[in-house]
Amino acid sequence: MFRRFIRDMRKYYRYSIVAARSELRAEVANSYLNWLWWVLEPFCFMLIYTFMFGYVFGAKEPYFPVFIFIGISMWDFFNRMVKNSVKIVKNNKAIVSKVYLPKYILVLTKLWVNGFKMIISFAIVIVMMAAYRVPVTWNVLYFVPVLAVLMLLSFGCSCWLMHYGVFVEDLSNVLDIVLRILFYLTGVFYNVRKRIPAPYGAVLTKYNPIAFLLESMRNSLLYGQTPHRKLMLGWLAVSLILCWTGIRKVYRNENSYVKAI
Amino acid sequence: MKETAIEVRDLCVSYRKLKSYSIKKNLLHLKHEKGDMFEAVKHVSFQVPKGNILGIVGKNGSGKSTLLNAIAGIFAPDSGEIDLKGNSVSLLSIGVGFQRELSGRENVLLSGMLLGFSERDVRERMDEIIEFAELENFIDAPVRTYSKGMYSRLAFSIAVTLETDIMLVDEVLSVGDAKFKKKSLKKMKQLIADDDRTVLIVSHSSETLAELCDKILWLHNGEVRMLGDTQEVLQAYEEYIG
Repeated sequence: MFRRFIRDMRKYYRYSIVAARSELRAEVANSYLNWLWWVLEPFCFMLIYTFMFGYVFGAKEPYFPVFIFIGISMWDFFNRMVKNSVKIVKNNKAIVSKVYLPKYILVLTKLWVNGFKMIISFAIVIVMMAAYRVPVTWNVLYFVPVLAVLMLLSFGCSCWLMHYGVFVEDLSNVLDIVLRILFYLTGVFYNVRKRIPAPYGAVLTKYNPIAFLLESMRNSLLYGQTPHRKLMLGWLAVSLILCWTGIRKVYRNENSYVKAI
Repeated sequence: MKETAIEVRDLCVSYRKLKSYSIKKNLLHLKHEKGDMFEAVKHVSFQVPKGNILGIVGKNGSGKSTLLNAIAGIFAPDSGEIDLKGNSVSLLSIGVGFQRELSGRENVLLSGMLLGFSERDVRERMDEIIEFAELENFIDAPVRTYSKGMYSRLAFSIAVTLETDIMLVDEVLSVGDAKFKKKSLKKMKQLIADDDRTVLIVSHSSETLAELCDKILWLHNGEVRMLGDTQEVLQAYEEYIG
């Protein structure tokens, strides 16, 4: 299977990039303000959360708006990946029923699309960091591994959800609820470790991978701290296992997907 | 004896696992639907030598399209084997797969790449494809704005310009207006005339089949009813439906 994966990746990797590029271009072409929305949307949510939690509930995180913006950028990425993947085979019926392609290539395409949007979002983070004069340390380099783990994790989850999304009609309803719970337990707009009473706050940041990745990113970018490296390796391993088993699952079942849709 | 391009052994395809499952229904113990088993193709075996043209006939629902889909690798066979001897394959069928939001040009590029061509190859042939499809300025508009005719002309044009070793043709010889029909039939004949190209054609037009095919396969309820000489099979088939 490993050799098949390598061979398929060689064959379809360019396709996924070109497809992602076309998709992004089409979004912009439809209304040229669209790309502005990629920036405007998280920015507005940041303003709302800053107002609600900074002023109304009196959160006292240093650099609070940047803190939130990092949270939104990463959460949006994960959220979009997972949500898209449930219906991804159905949405690509036109292609899937016409020609063979390994179905996880569809997820890979989305990974580039959403990844690109996240990168744009992070460009804003950098601007904001400069504006708030956040002291920069070498720890900002952890930016790269944190994003890598987030991408692998999202890809792995998406492969599994794509598979079940084909056969379970109302998976998206369930997923919406799960995602909402996860959203609140991830601390997009608050500090999970501090706000949730001990020991649950610490437990949550350890065992909720998204919360852990968010905290790591904030620590490395804003507070000059080194993320928990062992835990990061642990989540990397989990993500790789998810990806691997997900791809295997897809390989074993993908040819019956077309029959089900 | 020429080498074989397609070998199908004891192929069965069924739509048994088709029923999807709903958490809500399961929770409420509503009627538990048992997925009906429907065998679309049953124990079909045949071989096509390289360069040959095989026509497939049969009434609606006899498994013709399923067979082509299975050969194209879109469905997995439930049992049996399909061996394409490493040849590249493309399926040409009605209602083809374009992404509606993307422009015609981008769709050509993506379809071409999915057929196994490199980005450069497709770009080199781009003008030829656009010209054959007679799309001119529309090529950069989103596909959702196309008329049905434009849509199928573009699909046809991609398939005939980017040539694969094996072509599976599903009822598309009658695309577009009379003029385009004539042009596409001519192009089709030209492609088929190539000694290295193996073609499977599904069609309801006995005329076309008689003109193009070396052999005919008659499918009836998913089983091979007859396989043999074009004239012979077509005659028997016509008697049956007549």
